[in-house]
Amino acid sequence: MEQNNEMTAQESLNLISETLNASRRSILKDSARYFILWGLLLVAFSLVIYELWHISGKPVWNCLWFAMPIVGYPLAMLLGKKSTPIPQNLISRQLGWIWLAYGVFVFSVCLLSVVAVPMPASLTLLIVLVLGFTESISGILLKNWPTIVAGFVLGVGGTLVAAVTKSEAQLLLFTLGGLLMVITGIIVKRQYK
Amino acid sequence: MLPKLDPLLHSELRLAIMSILAGVESADFTFLKEQTGATSGNLSVQIDKLTTAQYITAEKGFKGKLPCTTCKITQTGQEAFARYVDALQAYLVTSK
Repeated sequence: MEQNNEMTAQESLNLISETLNASRRSILKDSARYFILWGLLLVAFSLVIYELWHISGKPVWNCLWFAMPIVGYPLAMLLGKKSTPIPQNLISRQLGWIWLAYGVFVFSVCLLSVVAVPMPASLTLLIVLVLGFTESISGILLKNWPTIVAGFVLGVGGTLVAAVTKSEAQLLLFTLGGLLMVITGIIVKRQYK
Repeated sequence: MLPKLDPLLHSELRLAIMSILAGVESADFTFLKEQTGATSGNLSVQIDKLTTAQYITAEKGFKGKLPCTTCKITQTGQEAFARYVDALQAYLVTSK
């Protein structure tokens, strides 16, 4: 794009609209990488903890969940550093805050259940419900129907499944949640290609 | 009488820079270059013009060891951009 001062009013408006849209697409496409990263981590952690719990019969392996942010945040920062710096817009900023709030809520409740009030039966149910809710809210912000529906299915369906399953089998719900996040990332990447 | 179009914004590259900055909190020089497809030299010149008019700010800094320039639209720039869009719409309405 070089100098051109001979634009008509319509050409100028088209340029504004195209540039704004292209910039918005780049920003939202970039957010897809983080859905994929955290989705893959969720799948990996849930399967490892499921296997360890299944083999040993001890739910204490759930403490490994606390390692997920310790692994995830440096990886997310590394991912951000490796590519061209992408600016934040209102939607990407809101997405970041919503998922951070989810992380803080879940981390706090898990920590409380370990140190203060044990709640083994209801914890998975709560976390899956909030995970599905956060996924749906992300879908609303991204104006992406598959993500909204996936979040609803995970939240509501997952809560029902968590209510009727016991112990380590509940962890597979998080594997499903992780897979849905990866799929969301792929859909967002394609949507804003 | 039709409003006068801001000559500073009525240029393809400067308008593209302003359009990008209007939709984000701030943007790096590299991002602006990728989005506009302009050469580094031309982009620098146009950023300087917009900075001189106080439509944007351009902060020079470092990311690690690499130099980087971060641009941000100012309040004056937002108002000028809004006036420019209003003027364009007025032109279109009149021409119909």
